[in-house]
Amino acid sequence: MVSKKKAKNLKAFISFQDTILNLQKYWSKKGCVILQPYDLEVGAGTFHPATTLRSLGPKPWKTAYVQPSRRPSDGRYGENPNRLQHYYQFQVLIKPSPKDIKKMYLNSLSSIGIRHEEHDIRFVEDDWESPTLGAAGLGWEVWCDGMEVTQFTYFQQMAGMECNPISVEITYGLERLCMFIQNKKNVFDLIWNDEGVLYKDVFHQAEKEFSAYNFEYANTDNLFKIFEMLEGEAKSLIEKKISLPAYDQCLKSSHVFNILDARGVISVAQRAEYIARIRDLTKEIGKIWVETQN
Amino acid sequence: MSEFFLELFSEEIPSKLQINARNDLIQILNKFFDDNEIIIKGKINIYSIPNRLIVYINKMSKDVTKKAEEIRGPNINAPEKALEGFLKSNKIGKEKVIKKNTEKGIFFFYNKPSQKIKTYDLLKDNIASLLLKISWKKSMKWGNHDLYWGRPLKSILCLFDKKIIEFKLNHLQSSNKTFIDKDLEDEVKSFNDFKSYIKFFKQKGVIIDHNKRKEFITKEINKATNQKKIHINLNEKLIEEITNIVEKPKILVCEFNKKFLEIPQEILIITMQHHQKYFPTFDNKNKITNNFIVVADCKDKKGLVKLGNQNVVEARLADAEFFWNRNKSQNLVKQVSKLKQINYFKGLGSYFDKIQRVRKLSGIISDELLISKEKIEIASSICKVDLMSDLVAEFPELQGVMGGYFAREQGFDEEISLAVSEHYLPSGIDSKVPKKPYSIALSLSDKIDSLVGFFGINLKPTSSKDPYALRRMTISLLRLIIENQKKIKLRDLINYSINLYKEQNYSFDPKLINDELGDFILDRLKNYLKDKDIRTDIIECSINSHGIDDLIKIFNKSLNLNKNIKKDFGLDVIAIYKRSANILNSESKLKLDIVGSADPGLFKNDYEKNLYKKIHTIRKYFSSIGRDEDYDESLKTLSSAKIEVNEFFENVIVNDQEEIIKKNRLELLKMLCKSFDNYFNFSKIEA
Repeated sequence: MVSKKKAKNLKAFISFQDTILNLQKYWSKKGCVILQPYDLEVGAGTFHPATTLRSLGPKPWKTAYVQPSRRPSDGRYGENPNRLQHYYQFQVLIKPSPKDIKKMYLNSLSSIGIRHEEHDIRFVEDDWESPTLGAAGLGWEVWCDGMEVTQFTYFQQMAGMECNPISVEITYGLERLCMFIQNKKNVFDLIWNDEGVLYKDVFHQAEKEFSAYNFEYANTDNLFKIFEMLEGEAKSLIEKKISLPAYDQCLKSSHVFNILDARGVISVAQRAEYIARIRDLTKEIGKIWVETQN
Repeated sequence: MSEFFLELFSEEIPSKLQINARNDLIQILNKFFDDNEIIIKGKINIYSIPNRLIVYINKMSKDVTKKAEEIRGPNINAPEKALEGFLKSNKIGKEKVIKKNTEKGIFFFYNKPSQKIKTYDLLKDNIASLLLKISWKKSMKWGNHDLYWGRPLKSILCLFDKKIIEFKLNHLQSSNKTFIDKDLEDEVKSFNDFKSYIKFFKQKGVIIDHNKRKEFITKEINKATNQKKIHINLNEKLIEEITNIVEKPKILVCEFNKKFLEIPQEILIITMQHHQKYFPTFDNKNKITNNFIVVADCKDKKGLVKLGNQNVVEARLADAEFFWNRNKSQNLVKQVSKLKQINYFKGLGSYFDKIQRVRKLSGIISDELLISKEKIEIASSICKVDLMSDLVAEFPELQGVMGGYFAREQGFDEEISLAVSEHYLPSGIDSKVPKKPYSIALSLSDKIDSLVGFFGINLKPTSSKDPYALRRMTISLLRLIIENQKKIKLRDLINYSINLYKEQNYSFDPKLINDELGDFILDRLKNYLKDKDIRTDIIECSINSHGIDDLIKIFNKSLNLNKNIKKDFGLDVIAIYKRSANILNSESKLKLDIVGSADPGLFKNDYEKNLYKKIHTIRKYFSSIGRDEDYDESLKTLSSAKIEVNEFFENVIVNDQEEIIKKNRLELLKMLCKSFDNYFNFSKIEA
């Protein structure tokens, strides 16, 4: 085994926040619109309208942004070294997918200290599907020395519609990536900035409290009602053909559903039904968005 | 002879799709060469690595001679356009066609002369459409293009005797160039032939031929493990997959912290093998070790690859360890009532409901298998609790197995723990069959309960769809019974299961389930027997003669007759039966009521008497054998009637003028056939 000390010396020590800054700089130079996170709770960077809606229709589009992602069921009260109910994704979306996208991606890794020549980088089959978005794509998860660091997907379908042209989506799991770069075994030990602030200083309390909320305290009766209200609101906005506010309602309902799911109050059959309800909204919204693009 | 070389460069194509494309291409090309009478010496070589799909034909005909032929065109009265089309498609002028009288009227004809065509031209005209014939199991589009491929296709290199075959495939133009760096696609190089191409990549350490790559990986793994006195359990599927996801394999022997060896080894194996595509290793006592094998796709100059992979495994194992420590101490019995909250299936209640039924059902089976009812009931009650554990949520494939571990940790009897562990087995045709009676009982009752339930709510498989894998479940049920040679009264168990559902207020139609499920089980049995290479006529006869309560009999008798049917005594049995049955059949038109009881008082000669005596001997034989029938012996006993039967047929005319004598002789033959039915009804056996 290579000793820890030696490994440390081998790696440029890039902080969590510098990793983000470097990726932003890199993709900015590639012509991407650098956005800020969407200001609603979402399960993944893909849910940001800059990806879902902008991947539809013929207009070219390049963007990159950080998106805090919430996965209520993945919370572990801050006790598990790898799992979080809130974490960061760095998302890149380019339409149409450029032919040298793989090169762009590998060079982006170099920009954060991972030289692809020194590592075993693998593109491992991982076809992606999101039932709530009515979306599907083909691609890979990218492994760096066995660690999954990125999802790399060519969208084929979004909001129930065939994509044309095809967008490529690159999603970096920032914590994972940083754990790799900094050689940490526990996400809470990540070094956030050069002042020595750690990931746990920023997020440990939140993990603990939100896990308790998601698993124990969330008022499910209310949440069921809220889901209905949000769905109703989305439908009425769909009737008025206002896609972006309707999509917000859809995102909120999706998050409410995720909390209900984490609370374990949704049966298998119900689960499928709720997912179908959200998907139906997404599909309608997608159609309106495309119509209003011309 | 000529050389053909094609290389398709793309982004990484997944293993399954590579195999799919290789197989498709061979078929497509073979058919094309056959159709066009192009001769191939040797074979069509198709190789793949993740980014490259390669076709190489060493020796093929440079040109083909097409025989002269007469091609019929349109009727002379057809519209002008038809003739124009005919001329165009044959690339000829009007002066080349002649009119000719046929039975159907006067037609234009073209006498196409014998022709020499260059293979090069044939390929140039057709290669693009041939490539589009690959039927990708999953395909995609990218960028602005309309082409569907396994993953984005980047370049096409195509050569025939060092000359570029120029063609377009959608937006791509073929050339003699390809990308030589798969990662950045910065470097392009041109090649003249396959030899220089393969030499070039060999120098880069890339093994193009997947067969050679697989050999190399296996050899290198053995070399590395032998040194450490460990071994891997060769997993053919995993080797195959890994071969297809690397181009320059490098074996790394890695290790994880020994403390993780305390986790059940199934978890270790699944974590390494399934999720990370690593090979776990075992010592000479077959105990798992903390070494594992990584097949990397590059050299590990700085040791970073090894370190990275070790970290990944340790992170995953730390996760598993955390769950294992938490789950193993969660009291199984105390959790049973929580199963009420988990839906088994809509219309079939919760898992709590299910285990109540399974418990009672296995109680009944315990009587037949002579095992402790109390113990099997305990096993039934706790067998589904592991579904609520973090570990099974994480590794669904380990359901049952984890339950077994928890049971052992909590001091349950080994037979109970093993039964819990094995109660999903066998999971299909290749999986291991439990051998211990407690395991058999629990697995049987779990499966019967599921089958009755799904048939009860009318979710039985259709000819094309089997979403709940009931076929596989039924095959598993059959294997449990047959491969353990257990006499199980399935019909009773099905009925009992229906009653158990009824007690929980799930009312099914018993007759419907009995008929449909019974037929379904027998159908699966037919397939199972076919897989054992038993003749279909034998299967048919055996199944028609027995029902689902006699599964072992059906199996053993079929197997035995299949083994002996070409031997003398086997042939005799069939011959005797056929001869008698044929006469009975031809006389059946007379509508005589033949029931199979001859009157010895009406016998006119010794031949009849001897046969009668023989039939009694056979009957006596069958009534004296108990459960342990020796089927060889039974067939031999039947065949021993050969002498009496032959003498009877040589000397007795069945069709006597006296009706009563004739009827009596038919009765005698019927008796004979009936005595043969003790084995089974041979009527459908083809001689």
